[in-house]
Amino acid sequence: MRRVVPFVALVAATWPAQGAVVTFYKDITPIVYLSCAPCHRPGEAGPFPLLTYEDVKKHAQQIVSVTKRRYMPPWLPEPGSGNFHDARRLTDEQIRTIEQWVTQGAQAGSPAEAAHRPEFTRGWQLGTPDLVLQAQAAYRLRADGADEYWNFVLPMKLAGARWVKAIEIRPGNARAVHHANVLIDRTRSARTQEKTLGAGFPGMDLSIEADTFDPDSHFLFWKPGGIPWEEPDGMAWRADSTIDLVLNVHMQPTGKPELVQPSIGLYFTGHPGTKFPMLVQLERDGALDIPAGDRDFKVSDDFTVPMDMDVLAVYPHAHYLGRLLEGYATLPDGSRKGLIRIPDWDVNWQSVYRYTAPVFLPKGSVVSMRFHYDNSDANPRNPNHPAKRVRGGNQANDEMGHLWLQVLPRDGEDRRMELQEALMRHRLDKYPGDFSAQFNLGALQLARGNAADAVRYLRAAVEARPDQPVALNTLGAALLSAGNAKDAASLFELALQSNPLYTNARYNLANALAEQQHWEQAAAQFRAVLTEDPDDPGARQHLGEVLRLWGDEMAAAHRLEDTVSHYRESLGFRQDDARLHSDLGTALAKLGRFREAVPEFETALRLDPHLDAAKHNLQAARARLEQAGEREAIR
Amino acid sequence: MHGLRFLLLWAAAAWGFGAVSGIVDLEGKAVDPFGGAAKVRIFIFLRSDCPVSNRYALELKRLSDEFGPRSAVFSMVYADPHETNKNIRQHMEQYRFPGAVIRDPVHSLVRRARVTITPEAAVFSAAGKLVYHGRIDNRFVELGKAMSTPTRRDLEDAIAAALDGRPQPEAYAPAVGCYLADVE
Repeated sequence: MRRVVPFVALVAATWPAQGAVVTFYKDITPIVYLSCAPCHRPGEAGPFPLLTYEDVKKHAQQIVSVTKRRYMPPWLPEPGSGNFHDARRLTDEQIRTIEQWVTQGAQAGSPAEAAHRPEFTRGWQLGTPDLVLQAQAAYRLRADGADEYWNFVLPMKLAGARWVKAIEIRPGNARAVHHANVLIDRTRSARTQEKTLGAGFPGMDLSIEADTFDPDSHFLFWKPGGIPWEEPDGMAWRADSTIDLVLNVHMQPTGKPELVQPSIGLYFTGHPGTKFPMLVQLERDGALDIPAGDRDFKVSDDFTVPMDMDVLAVYPHAHYLGRLLEGYATLPDGSRKGLIRIPDWDVNWQSVYRYTAPVFLPKGSVVSMRFHYDNSDANPRNPNHPAKRVRGGNQANDEMGHLWLQVLPRDGEDRRMELQEALMRHRLDKYPGDFSAQFNLGALQLARGNAADAVRYLRAAVEARPDQPVALNTLGAALLSAGNAKDAASLFELALQSNPLYTNARYNLANALAEQQHWEQAAAQFRAVLTEDPDDPGARQHLGEVLRLWGDEMAAAHRLEDTVSHYRESLGFRQDDARLHSDLGTALAKLGRFREAVPEFETALRLDPHLDAAKHNLQAARARLEQAGEREAIR
Repeated sequence: MHGLRFLLLWAAAAWGFGAVSGIVDLEGKAVDPFGGAAKVRIFIFLRSDCPVSNRYALELKRLSDEFGPRSAVFSMVYADPHETNKNIRQHMEQYRFPGAVIRDPVHSLVRRARVTITPEAAVFSAAGKLVYHGRIDNRFVELGKAMSTPTRRDLEDAIAAALDGRPQPEAYAPAVGCYLADVE
């Protein structure tokens, strides 16, 4: 008999005792308030509210159906592979309780027994933002048809630099927007894809160009009902007046035309970013060539981590054919840690998943990505019926296989370059001759000052894509660093042929020409840079120097009229250069133009009273003027 | 005589001629959904809070434009007794559903049409016989799982067959959407 008691207790714990009536207030409100209402309330993404007894009863059988299928609440990861913040998965017991409630007639019960109803905030969940950026124009979403992907470019409206601890995205139309991603565009490269400024541009995935290696390694993501993420101390990112935020939005038609005009709220902190996280991407897009009808096409990637690190968050990404998406790590001792496992991928509910506790990976651990795709007609999400061959690419009808990890190296140092190098070497192993691997390895070597190694990788990159202007420009920069100004200049010219408005390449060309003492050509290129960007401080300074040196060369050749002209133009950029004023005075004096020479010597001495040459020459010039004056008087 | 009358009623029930009552328009006036001339009658059952029915607004407009001139009469049926007339008007206007709008608060037409889901269609012949009921097309495989375009347009095929006097390709195809039983 004694054995029976625990058994009965166990049954009672997992299944309400027979005869016990399940009621809305007592049994259902704890589930609904926590797992349904965050989205299903006015102003949020859920198509109807689920806050009151009447609300829930109006959808009771539907709720049974969608919870049993685990379509709602949407939560893709399987338990057992990673513990995540804000996990929305219902327990089996909760699902049974809902079903039992409906089977028993969906009774209300006593409101006194209800769970505490959370205070839901309307609008900005983190309070009033410090800065709000709104898309300039609303996107007009068609009433029906396929999903649409749109990129809004939002210029940062700031006077100086600030540190951002959190962003919150308000979709502008919660019913139509399925999820959104923000990318930080420090070179404002994405806006070149807009037909007119502020118009935005289409595309499911996009890449952002950067001119320095300082990757912004944060997942800035929005999904319906998600709680905005506040970065921990030391993980803030820098916002400057010169950057754009690019908001990539996935929209689904609702049956009527919709306007979508999202906003991003920024929350600042006084604590700057002191940690150096990095996004590590495992991927195998190059192997994605999925035959029509293939029900289980597999791709994999394995990356050995080059240092001790913590994994903070994971973001798996595939398009419509993805089915089973899995990531795990094999530690040096042979044990395996599950990072994430999604058995039935649904691009509509993609998300960033943040670990409740960082997942430690010792140096030498192998991170593995195993993705499976279903390109058969039996996959209802297949965008092609009948199925057809699908390859890797950015558009919705292409496929992707990415497993992104946000990692933080353990020792607190900035190890991003080292990590990037390991990633790019791995990429080169996967795709021999690959442009981006060789370009990035070259750029890394250049940043480290290894010009010779940089040239080797960059030459290979240019060979892979001969008219890629950024690669041509970077190879030119490496050659210039290695002391080969002549070849560098030719590379910058090629970059400019590919993109005549590539100001950086023009600036570099001007420098390469100056290096070769081709003053006239160098000055012409610097002037052109200033036409494109009149405030460029580097171009102003260098043009001043080039004109000065050109003037010196003319002086040595006794072409004093030219000397005067170049010195005068140079002074436009260096008014406070005492010696240049003095030298201009000397050239004028040599030409007998003492009346013009005297004020130059005077300015030189005002700027630098100890300039002996100017003192001497000023006296001489004044003496000559006096003599001339006496002669005039005698005449 | 009694026996004959009983027999007639029984036959009518089997053929779907049972009385439909409680149908009203948005003014609250009683309406006979089978009144007026029509070669084929199509009822589409809706709830204003069902995102799946909303997605069919354009498709229904297309079908109404295609078959309206051939005397196929479309009616949108709102079956939630708790919805307000104002809300229904607004919903019709926003999504531009075609045809007349009627309410079925007691679900008598729901039962006659044998529908359980929104959106679900019921096609009746001129004689008032239910010839097809079920999904509009196969775009939705289940809630949250949809094809970008349907590969089978069940309602379109059913109306065309009814108008042409051809046998129906199918009498029923299960619909995906929201449950009518939740708003009984």
